[in-house]
Amino acid sequence: MTKILLAVLALVAAPILGALITGVDRRITAWLQSRYGPPILQPLYDVLKLLGKQPMLVNTWQALCAYVYLVGAALSVVLLFTGSDLLLIFFVLTVGAVFLVMGALASPSPYSQIGGQRELLQMLAYEPLLILVFASIAMVTGSFKVSSVFELSRPMLYDLPLMFIVLGYALTIKLRKSPFDISASAHAHQELVRGVYTEYSGPYLAMIEIAHWYEVILVLGICALFWSTSFVGMIVLVALTYLAEILVDNVTARLTWRVMLKSAVGMGLVLTVVNMLWLYAQ
Amino acid sequence: MLDTLVFVTVLLPFLVAAVLLVLREQNLRKVILVATAGVLILSSLAMLRGGAFIMSPAPLWGSLVTLGDFLILAVVLLVGLKRKNQIIVWLTVAQIVGLIWFDFFMVKDHGATPAFFADDLSLVMVLVVSIVGSLIAVYGIGYMKEHEEHLHLTTSKQPQFFFFIVLFLGAMNGLVLANNMLWMYFFWECTTLCSFMLIGHDDTEIARKNAERALWMNVLGGTAFLFGVMLLYKVTGTLSLQEILARGPEFAVAGGAILVPMFLLVFAGMTKAAQAPFQSWLTGAMVAPTPVSALLHSSTMVKAGVYIIVRLAPIYAGTYFSNFVALFGAFVFLATACLAAGQSNGKKILAYSTISNLALIIACAGINTPAAITAAILLILFHAISKALMFLCVGAIEQKIGSRDIEDMRGLFARMPRTALVAVIGILTMTLPPFGMLMAKWMAIESAHGQFLLMIMLALGSGVTVLFWCRWAGLMLATPFAKAAPEAQDGTIRGPLYLLAGLAVVLSFFSPLVYNGLVAPVVAMYYKTAPYVLRYGNFESATGVFLVYPLFILLGLGFFFALRQTRKITAAQAVGPYMCGEQTSVDGKPGFLGPLGQNVTAVSGNYYLEQFFGEAMLSKWINVIALAVLVIMLFGGAL
Amino acid sequence: MLGNLINQGRIKSPWVVHFDCGSCNGCDIEVLACLTPLYDIERFGILNIGNPKHADVLLVTGTVNQRNKHVLKNIYDQMPTPKAVIAIGACGCSGGVFREAYNVVGGVDKVIPVDVYVPGCPARPEAIIDGVVAALEKVKKLLGMTA
Repeated sequence: MTKILLAVLALVAAPILGALITGVDRRITAWLQSRYGPPILQPLYDVLKLLGKQPMLVNTWQALCAYVYLVGAALSVVLLFTGSDLLLIFFVLTVGAVFLVMGALASPSPYSQIGGQRELLQMLAYEPLLILVFASIAMVTGSFKVSSVFELSRPMLYDLPLMFIVLGYALTIKLRKSPFDISASAHAHQELVRGVYTEYSGPYLAMIEIAHWYEVILVLGICALFWSTSFVGMIVLVALTYLAEILVDNVTARLTWRVMLKSAVGMGLVLTVVNMLWLYAQ
Repeated sequence: MLDTLVFVTVLLPFLVAAVLLVLREQNLRKVILVATAGVLILSSLAMLRGGAFIMSPAPLWGSLVTLGDFLILAVVLLVGLKRKNQIIVWLTVAQIVGLIWFDFFMVKDHGATPAFFADDLSLVMVLVVSIVGSLIAVYGIGYMKEHEEHLHLTTSKQPQFFFFIVLFLGAMNGLVLANNMLWMYFFWECTTLCSFMLIGHDDTEIARKNAERALWMNVLGGTAFLFGVMLLYKVTGTLSLQEILARGPEFAVAGGAILVPMFLLVFAGMTKAAQAPFQSWLTGAMVAPTPVSALLHSSTMVKAGVYIIVRLAPIYAGTYFSNFVALFGAFVFLATACLAAGQSNGKKILAYSTISNLALIIACAGINTPAAITAAILLILFHAISKALMFLCVGAIEQKIGSRDIEDMRGLFARMPRTALVAVIGILTMTLPPFGMLMAKWMAIESAHGQFLLMIMLALGSGVTVLFWCRWAGLMLATPFAKAAPEAQDGTIRGPLYLLAGLAVVLSFFSPLVYNGLVAPVVAMYYKTAPYVLRYGNFESATGVFLVYPLFILLGLGFFFALRQTRKITAAQAVGPYMCGEQTSVDGKPGFLGPLGQNVTAVSGNYYLEQFFGEAMLSKWINVIALAVLVIMLFGGAL
Repeated sequence: MLGNLINQGRIKSPWVVHFDCGSCNGCDIEVLACLTPLYDIERFGILNIGNPKHADVLLVTGTVNQRNKHVLKNIYDQMPTPKAVIAIGACGCSGGVFREAYNVVGGVDKVIPVDVYVPGCPARPEAIIDGVVAALEKVKKLLGMTA
């Protein structure tokens, strides 16, 4: 019963929270660029407006893909909140991501095509990192279940400090933050028109935005697992991480996909191995 | 009853094959093939109902098998001599000498060993061979007709073709049901010969060359198999697989001695499953007509290789050897997934991804925990269905568009809506939850937990896998908004496509039942514990939980709702793709309006990441590393 | 209720796409100046989105000529409704000093309906922002939101 309640809570609260976080993000970004910035509720306004626009499509696959992307993202957040299996959450997240790319590739527009290809490369970079993070969490807790993380007596961050950096890498890619915003930027930076988002418009773009909010909550939720012992600790950790992400977003320039792929996989592997050796040594 | 069933699944195909060889009447051949397929499917299901059994046919059959062994070896020797291939000749001579010595001087109690035995693992394999294999054979009817029309043959070569195809079905069933290792060797050699003949079927220069390569690699495996059996007999004193498995733990305790024959048998399995450094025969085999690729080189024959490795897993459980098998499997999984990502040839992608998935099964066998073996068996089952489906799709597409390059499949939905959709379903069942393949992969990764090197390779490998599947599915859908033209297709081609696609989805839905009925008993038999508890159809273990039905229902509902919404979309809502405001369209192909008002067609291509995934560069290193791991595997025990 | 919220969103989030129709770049520089910290149009929720399929407001600078009029029309057609068009600068409004040139069609309104005209050569950033706000007022009236 509590699980169902949690699921409903996740379903409703996650996008709202995600929108607010994105709003704060835009505000802080503006502040870092010595601008005033939009209101905190701006992401909500954007999505509401998009929902009210005329549906416009290249073909029906795009609509299908947008819907499935949203369902996949929402479902993965529900799974996280109900304490399910980390690897399963990851796979469900992949469902959404795969459909987003399929929808982009389903349009013959070269911008959307290249965006889709780049998104695939981003997936290639962050997916192994996420699996490694989950695997190392399982090393500490002995199980892939989210619920078992909360049975730990001390925060995971002590055991897996380097894995947290690896997660940060994946986070930057997943949140479409600079320097890895190569397939599409979270902000309206122009690159390849809008990359993987180019051909989605109106209500379908709104759906993708909402799905993105779910994903923000999901990745931040996974960050929170690293300080599972206290609620305040979780909030502080997540807030600091997100601030760091914004800072990185604002002080770095976009890199090429080659650099992304090499550095993500290379750094990820090195940090993982070092962290694991340290874990074995303990 | 049991006699009849074994007769039907193993011997009947041999007899039907003989009939097909002399039969030149097309329609009759069609009837016989469909009828055989039906009988095979029904009898395999009946066999499944019957459950485990042991059976010894009359001693006469034993002599026939011995005769058959020498017959096949003689044929292979002749081929070797004719092609002047030293490797084939010497390996075959070694086999003949070994077999003579083994058959007539070493083994004293011929006939005392029951020829057949089946547990759930064998039965799963029989199901795969009989159902998937038969459907592919039926597909072959329509495919070969068009294939030969395309080649303008004066005399049809279909009798030979179907002779080997059907013969192969019998041989595979025999292989997975065999208890007597010598029988298994016979069927093993049968599949090698069938494969050689079918790869060379089109009799072109490249087909002959690739067939020869496949032959020498498989003969190498066959030699390893024979000597493995001989050593096994020396160590255990029996030829009965069942007895060896039952006494497995005691051999494992005895250590060392059993591992050498195990290595040889596993090595034989690796050559048959085309693992690195032997992957080149399987990619070369793609010159054969598509039903051959689907049947032999993706869903069934290569499964014989992993079958033997999974079959023997309980014997080498907990040894250093097992760890190396896991390491080898994980490495090849990653390496061949990378090779697949660098390809644009559809059949080659399928070939490499087959090798990759087989390697994952081998890795599971090497991890050798109950959960890993469960993953291995489920992978065998689900992979066979989905991969066969993909091959048949590529075959049908190739006949229509004249290319197997995935770049040419851009916007395929406009031309072949049904086939394109079936192919997309095939891809989704290969890559996404809640389908069976992904569930098995989940089990595999979770059971690798704690072995970090394995985990890293599995993580990287599954990332690459998503890359090459996803873009293929996406680009097939790249069409302008329009009603797709209806598609004409032979019933013998369409039927198997639909059936396999349905099977892939439905069987995934009933995966808890499959696990309970087929996988759990056999794992419990050899490992004494059940890896997963099923609660409301969800797989639960100490390390994790996989929600089958909630996922199916929620994702299914979402998908259904999405589909309903997309139905409402009208042509009025459709616009052209974004082309900077310069878009034009010629014959439904979008392009830019260039200088002087000329149309410039928009062309896009996938990233194949040559610098990371280039075949020539990678293969060299992969082969060296794989070979090194194999050598360490063999001599590691001595260290 | 949802309709009201959506209308609220429409007012608060005009995403613009900027199309240079053959301008001397004077107006374009001023359009981009609006994005700078000094003018910071993002505080009104305005984003320079660069994709007509995502945009609500089309900012057009420069004269329309025979070569690019179909592009302008095409971009306009690819914007989902509701949408607004703002012609910027003397050229965009009427064709400016190039009005009589042989290949010039004239102002933007010769090809697509224009909602707001922002004069100037070049138009000042303040004027451009004012134009967008004026367009919003027009939208408000259209939505029946002016109480």
